[in-house]
Amino acid sequence: MLVSPLRLLWIWTAIGMQSFGGGSATLYLIRRVAVERHGWITDEDFTRYWGICQIAPGINILGLVVLIGWRVAGAVGAALSLCGLLLPSAAITVALTSIYASVREAPLVRAAIAGVVPATVGLGLFLGFTMTRPLLNSARREGSASTLIAIVLLLASTIVAARAQTPVLAILYSAGAVSAIAQWQLAGRQKSEEGPRG
Amino acid sequence: MIHSLTLFWIMFRAALLSTTGTGNLPIVHQDLLSRGWATDRQFAESLAIGQISPGPTGLWVISLGYLVGGLRGAALTMVAIALPPLLVLVLVHGLYRRFGHHPATQGFVRGLGLAVIGIFVIVLTGIMNTAGWSMTNLMITGGAIALAATRRVPVIAVLILAAIVGIAIY
Repeated sequence: MLVSPLRLLWIWTAIGMQSFGGGSATLYLIRRVAVERHGWITDEDFTRYWGICQIAPGINILGLVVLIGWRVAGAVGAALSLCGLLLPSAAITVALTSIYASVREAPLVRAAIAGVVPATVGLGLFLGFTMTRPLLNSARREGSASTLIAIVLLLASTIVAARAQTPVLAILYSAGAVSAIAQWQLAGRQKSEEGPRG
Repeated sequence: MIHSLTLFWIMFRAALLSTTGTGNLPIVHQDLLSRGWATDRQFAESLAIGQISPGPTGLWVISLGYLVGGLRGAALTMVAIALPPLLVLVLVHGLYRRFGHHPATQGFVRGLGLAVIGIFVIVLTGIMNTAGWSMTNLMITGGAIALAATRRVPVIAVLILAAIVGIAIY
């Protein structure tokens, strides 16, 4: 093992506790610690792992933590790293929620929340926008057909989701399937077009 | 009455069948609202708490677990979201090498991502429905978008500002 178990646990705890402000802040910290400070993995590994985590189930950051932990010390490393990142952050989240829940019905808090809820919607919409951009950009690089499909899928899933009775899993996986087939077909066509020239 | 095993299963299934920290939101939202176990207000509250607490944004769902089922709900949710990412090990040691760069895989991930965003917008609309589409609320929403778009104002500052506005108005 490259580090002692306790130290490994502590390193991930520190990352979890320092990373306020969501995914990109956490990702930045993980890269600095795992690649630059400790040299557990190379920069290429980091990029490749992050790519794999995009298609893995659940929170991407947790997948990345598992992969890096595994590289450091196998199954034990993965478990320690996951616990280190998750437990303290989860405890703080629970503590904040319980404090909030105890004052939730106070008039002052109700008024404050009445202001916070629309702001959360605003932040959510902006988050949606930042999540859309890389997806549309990568579609645009593939050409107008991919871009059109991406836009249609985005609009179609929004419209279908507005009908409350549609199971969301059906929407998610239909969109995934349509996009998978389209991409496959388009990639095949591109290859055959490039073929004679190259 | 909240059934612990069912809550665990809802949270686990949602994390297993989605990717990213908010990808599970549409599934959890539909599953919990249809049972009457959670309200739109609780979703907005847990999203806000998830934004200000440390760690990945995906931990918002632990906050929701607490609001819905207390300490036990939060603990069950934490375990439920910790398990699916372990599957990444299976991916890295086989599947990804074979299928990771296949256009269909890339396409699937993109389609899934786009649908999550589409449903997310509808969930946000639902939260806005319960809050009310008043001029004041719309201005707070617009203000939050504007502040977030500058990328200079931390999320917690936006939320505190919104809370102050709320206290001043309501």
